[in-house]
Amino acid sequence: MSAIIEIDRLSFRYPGAERDSLRNVCLTIEEGDFVAVIGGNGSGKTTLCKTLNGLVPHYWEGDFAGEVRVDGVDTYESSVAALSSTVGYVYQDFQNQLVRPRVRDEIEFGPTNFGMSDYAERAQQAMEMLGIAHLADRFVWQLSGGQAHLTALASVLAMRPRIIVVDEPVAEVDPAGAHALYERLTELNQVHGITVIVIEHHAEFIAQYAKSVVLMDDGAPVWHLPAPQAAARAAELASHGIPAPQIVAACEGLDLAAAPRTVEEAAAVLRTAGARQRDSWTADAVAGSVPRLASSEVDPARTDGDERRPVAVASAVSHGYRSVAGDLLPVLSGVDLTIRAGDRVALVGGNGAGKSTLMRLLCGLQVPRGGSVTLDGIDTKKSSATRLAEHAAYLFQRPEQMFLKDSIRADVRLFPAGRKRDDADALVDRVLDRVRLSDFADRDGRTLSGGQQRRATLAIGLAMTPSLLLADEPTASLDVASRDSVIAMLDELSGAIAAAVVATHDMHLVAEWATRVIVLGGGGVLADVTPLELFSSDALLEGARVVPPQITALGRALGISPAPLSVAQWREAVALTDAAARMEVRA
Amino acid sequence: MSRKTRDVLSVEWVKLELIRTAYATRGGLFAKMDPRMVISWYLILAVVPWLTHDLVTIIALFGLTAVSAALARVGPLVLGLFLIGFVTDFAYAFGAAWVFGGDHETALALVEITLKLATVSLASIAAFVSLDPEELSTGLLAWKAPELLAFGVSYGYRMMPILFEEFGTVFTGLRLRSPQGPRGFLGMRALWRWGTWAVQAFYPIFLNTAKSVRTTVESLETRGFTAAQGRELRIAQLRIGALDVAVVAVTLVAVVGAFELGAVVTIA
Repeated sequence: MSAIIEIDRLSFRYPGAERDSLRNVCLTIEEGDFVAVIGGNGSGKTTLCKTLNGLVPHYWEGDFAGEVRVDGVDTYESSVAALSSTVGYVYQDFQNQLVRPRVRDEIEFGPTNFGMSDYAERAQQAMEMLGIAHLADRFVWQLSGGQAHLTALASVLAMRPRIIVVDEPVAEVDPAGAHALYERLTELNQVHGITVIVIEHHAEFIAQYAKSVVLMDDGAPVWHLPAPQAAARAAELASHGIPAPQIVAACEGLDLAAAPRTVEEAAAVLRTAGARQRDSWTADAVAGSVPRLASSEVDPARTDGDERRPVAVASAVSHGYRSVAGDLLPVLSGVDLTIRAGDRVALVGGNGAGKSTLMRLLCGLQVPRGGSVTLDGIDTKKSSATRLAEHAAYLFQRPEQMFLKDSIRADVRLFPAGRKRDDADALVDRVLDRVRLSDFADRDGRTLSGGQQRRATLAIGLAMTPSLLLADEPTASLDVASRDSVIAMLDELSGAIAAAVVATHDMHLVAEWATRVIVLGGGGVLADVTPLELFSSDALLEGARVVPPQITALGRALGISPAPLSVAQWREAVALTDAAARMEVRA
Repeated sequence: MSRKTRDVLSVEWVKLELIRTAYATRGGLFAKMDPRMVISWYLILAVVPWLTHDLVTIIALFGLTAVSAALARVGPLVLGLFLIGFVTDFAYAFGAAWVFGGDHETALALVEITLKLATVSLASIAAFVSLDPEELSTGLLAWKAPELLAFGVSYGYRMMPILFEEFGTVFTGLRLRSPQGPRGFLGMRALWRWGTWAVQAFYPIFLNTAKSVRTTVESLETRGFTAAQGRELRIAQLRIGALDVAVVAVTLVAVVGAFELGAVVTIA
């Protein structure tokens, strides 16, 4: 192997910035490597990757010192256009990277611009390599997130680059889509010898796919190590905002020094070490630790004689949309559902299963074509969406769409002040305090970090004092720490509302927050179960197109029943044979 | 009061109609043609009505473009907007003639100009509904239009459904969260509020879009857009076929026929 990227004493400062974004970076990457670049926000990961295709310093002209050689070419002497045939770059917000209306045009765009007469073959080949040839004539806005991501990747692949950089591949696609993308990248790496560089927050993907890891901190690499060695430095990674994968945490919880890369590896290690279920871990013990909404005073187990107040009732609901061709595309048919006070519902299912549609119907933003929805006893067809907003708050998937005013405070205040609530100002203060955004109240929501933006939308929803809170993908595109803070926030806020529904692909959110999971698929409700029941049934997992959290999968692999839903539960559930014996002796 | 999901005259419908119109998804005669020939065809019909004052010729030309619009399968939204404009123009023509003391000749003169405008409008509707943005921008390229203009046309169309969707979402947010009030006389106050929200919706949309456009611009740079060596490759995709020649020939014959008709037949 030879070095394809050589960076020597590179420093860079953006124009007008106070300090260097990259400081004295020395780094060598071998051809054929699969590198994960990790590090906290503002550690210079993205800037580093933008030096590879010459965007720094040719597009972003700042103070540039040192030398970057890509495939032997000094980037300072070259140009973005020339370097682009060697380095392909897929952005985090890849949707904005797509500039042509149809998939094929999009993929042919690069080769055509460079005057390559074989552009059509290149595009066809790139699509076939990624298995998206059947999408060639689709409009780009018809694609699902995962498909759009593969299209963006294909469009850089058509240039036949030797290096591909992917910025945070997991951020905006569901877990199944992210795994699919990583599988494709692995194939490009192994079969075609393309060097792959990913910027990644999620330790489980790094452990599973990367060959080597570069840890960035404050504009410089701390180290560049082979993946297994990097994974073993769990504590150091955690201090840079990258918590260990759950399977590593599971081993650590049992004082085992091991860094398994996959659930199977972890299961093998733990079996050898003699991990077994504690006697105290029974179904009853779990029931005691299941969360539920504070306002619920009745047992959350759903029985036919459930007396809890129904908040939203859907009966025989059918709905669909018109396509561009004019046909009616059915999304839901004959859905019956009752959301009761105290419910914490997670809606799961593949893309297009109707999660967002169902939520829009439940909050009265839309009315069903067939059947009826009753919200707080009001038929949504008999009232207006603006009236129903007093009963249900719907949080859009992209937070910036909810920032209508120039400060968070104004946004939170908009609804209660508009509805002439006397205590509007006090309410706004209380809500902002509750989501811990009082210090940021006068900033525009768009200038906040991802996690803060989500909390701001929660504040907007809470200030509407709804009975039912609905949130679309509240943890999407957040790094691990921000995601955990949003889950914790949802947990704390449950006292303020009667029932909450979230549509999500995030199984950590399902495992740690929900009391009830509704699996949508094939136009209806496939299952209405507890998270534990969902994760215990392979048929359901398949139907819902979800991947259980690593810790739950590991628990099942080891035959632990009920399987743990969080690392905390894992610690209660599992012990090593001899360690357990020692504890009994001590007792 | 009872709400229901509407398939026409709703925001969703307008969005779909815009997409259908922009990308010529209904097909139609001109959608199969070479864009350069479609533009030529349009230019012919855009010029000839101004070469005559003969009402019969103008009516014949109007008939010709009306048939063309039907063959182009123009959608209900665009056609509806056209009809509203056409009918109000006519009403205005008669109204103006009457108010200012004109006689039937003044009215006829105004009808003539209205018909000429309608003819040109129908021709442009038929042509541009049939050109999808890729074809239009390649056609412009073939005629030596700057690369940037050609791309702008294509990218503008690409952004349109996204911006419309974004507008819909932000507007919904404003409608649900803003202060409500009485509807007022003939719903005037409600209308005023809706107007205000429509304007206010642009603030978040501009900011949200500005952020995403940065990625687009960088990505264009990396994909050789400014290298611009693709002009010849794109133009090479165009082909003028038998259909193109036939349509233009038939149109020319029909135009000559209209002028002949005007020479033979006279009204009043």
